[in-house]
Amino acid sequence: MNFSFTKEQELIQRMAKEYAEKNIDPVAQQIDIENQIPAEIIEGLGELDLFGIPFSDEYGGAGSGYATYVLAMEQIAAASSGVGMIISAHTLGLGAIDAFGNEEQKKKYMPKSCKGEHIVSFAFTEPGTGSDPKQITSTARKEGDYYILNGTKRFITNAGYPGPIVFFAKEEESGRVTGFIVEKFCEGYSISEPWEKLGMHGGPLLDVYLKDVKVPAENILGAIGQGYPILQYAISYGKVGVSSAALGGALAAFNEAVKYAKEKTHRDQPIAKFQSTKLNIATIAEKYEAIRWLTYRLGYLADNVKDPVQFAKDAALTKDFVCEQIVDICKLAVSVHGSYGLMKDYKVERLWRDAIMGLQIEGVSDMQKMIVAGVILGM
Amino acid sequence: MNIVVAMKQIPDLQQIRIRNRQPVFDDVPLTIGDIDKNALEAAVNLKEGTDANIIVLSAGNEDVEDTIKEALAAGADEAFLILDDDLEDAESSQIATILAAGLKKMDDVSLILFGEGSGDNYSGQVGSRVAELMDLPQVGYVSTIEVNGNVAKVTRSLEDVEEVIEVELPAVISVMAGINEPRIPSVTQILKAGKKPKEVLELDDIEIDLGAATIETNSNLAPESDRKKIVVKSVDELVEKLTAENLIGR
Ligand SMILES: Cc1cc2nc3c(=O)[nH]c(=O)nc-3n(C[C@H](O)[C@H](O)[C@H](O)COP(=O)(O)OP(=O)(O)OC[C@H]3O[C@@H](n4cnc5c(N)ncnc54)[C@H](O)[C@@H]3O)c2cc1C
Repeated sequence: MNFSFTKEQELIQRMAKEYAEKNIDPVAQQIDIENQIPAEIIEGLGELDLFGIPFSDEYGGAGSGYATYVLAMEQIAAASSGVGMIISAHTLGLGAIDAFGNEEQKKKYMPKSCKGEHIVSFAFTEPGTGSDPKQITSTARKEGDYYILNGTKRFITNAGYPGPIVFFAKEEESGRVTGFIVEKFCEGYSISEPWEKLGMHGGPLLDVYLKDVKVPAENILGAIGQGYPILQYAISYGKVGVSSAALGGALAAFNEAVKYAKEKTHRDQPIAKFQSTKLNIATIAEKYEAIRWLTYRLGYLADNVKDPVQFAKDAALTKDFVCEQIVDICKLAVSVHGSYGLMKDYKVERLWRDAIMGLQIEGVSDMQKMIVAGVILGM
Repeated sequence: MNIVVAMKQIPDLQQIRIRNRQPVFDDVPLTIGDIDKNALEAAVNLKEGTDANIIVLSAGNEDVEDTIKEALAAGADEAFLILDDDLEDAESSQIATILAAGLKKMDDVSLILFGEGSGDNYSGQVGSRVAELMDLPQVGYVSTIEVNGNVAKVTRSLEDVEEVIEVELPAVISVMAGINEPRIPSVTQILKAGKKPKEVLELDDIEIDLGAATIETNSNLAPESDRKKIVVKSVDELVEKLTAENLIGR
């Protein structure tokens, strides 16, 4: 067993940290207040190839795998989970095109997306269904060599950025869920105002409306009726992103708690001298180390999938556990701060709000546990 | 035309812990000193639009072969390394002798760049010593460099004045931290670094005998800082105290 990184991975981790500290950290509070990521940050991340780490260089990616993606994501999301959310949802959608797209689709949609010139969306949730995508009501009606798409999608990350959106709809002839690649802002594509959410500000969450959007049949992702397996498979990879973004939040909370414990004084000594503070810090460290190695392992597993069903289980249990632990970690970090931790002037206030979001993304906690138990018990 | 940048492997200073006032180096990742990165960035800027080739030169233990990928990712075209585990704690004079011997094996070198001091010991001697050994002109504390044909026009920043100096090439130049902001390499550049050409020599290949060390380190302790615990009640009072401590208004 070997728990070390390659030199390249170490450098990519350090690069992401340096970029995040120099360019994202200083504006993180502004992002939180304005719910908007400055365009220069998206450009900068694109120049560093952070939108295409796991994908093959044949399609414009860096070809460095998910294990490396985890390391970079942790550092970026430690500065702003809104930025982490953008990369995570983008990589989920792009991963679906990478895994199920044909050669033409990959050549057409991947290079610009890997460079961050296009930001990808992945749309399955609807006003009527999230946890059970088989209940999707969006429709795809065949008309000659085209499909006419109609439907409303809810809570779609990155819907306001140009680029492809992987859109799931029921193909009317077969009655089965099918994935389509649609270009955002094509005729008939419209979006809502961004949702005002609890945390992960800057990560744009919008509703998407498709009204008689005409796409050529060649835009079907995979085959007709393959939508549900594509969704399950892609979301398993998506959970690598959600877990690493959450891990970044945990790292930030850990660092803030340690810093505050050493700086804040009571009775002329830092609160770090008090046993209660020590216990909080130790518990944070235990939880952080546990989720860190679980997430790094998930990155490794994503690069070495032998059985997709086992991988789906590992992705679900990692995502669920990590997202539960980070809420605890942030709560402990707030405890170290006392009431100051509830104030906007302190980073942990934002981290706690961000942390709570993770539990609902890409499948709520209960659904993750259903996947895990389903695979273990075989029923 | 070759631009050589001398870069030193050091422990990542941000990750060193202090225990009983002693630095703990276990498990601390290795990197390259910050000002050395400024020297490399200066070379990359000079190279732009020319056919210059940037060679990173480094002497140290076997780990350097891996550490130097950082320089190759940040814009160096090739690496020239002199590696020996004895070099881990070598002193400035020994390193200068080795680097000069390495430089003598290279052709068409027009500029040799150093950081004004290494990230760990900051003795700031190696550049001057190499210039002396190679019998080349040297300018230190440089904050701008412009190359025109066979001449470099540089700004030397001294405490109270700035001098603009022209120096004939080849020359040795030591740069200051403020000369530029090193670019952050992309994922792809990092992944390609290991594939760039590398020449690795041992001490025997350059026929250098290190000789006995002349410097002995008696102790290496972190400074002790104590809070003064001065309470101020107004900004004016704060300014007054800081001025009294000679921390502002110098
Ligand atoms: C920040 C953020 C980003 C998001 N980005 C995207 C995106 O890019 N694309 C996208 O498509 N969606 C996205 N979503 C939506 C998200 O994936 C869904 O909200 C999530 O899947 C849950 O669906 P729901 O909200 O409809 O909850 P519901 O499905 O209504 O679930 C509510 C509760 O009911 C229970 N429940 C429901 N169904 C079942 C069942 N079958 N078995 C057992 N229990 C059940 C569960 O306990 C669950 O907690 C995002 C959400 C957030 C918060």
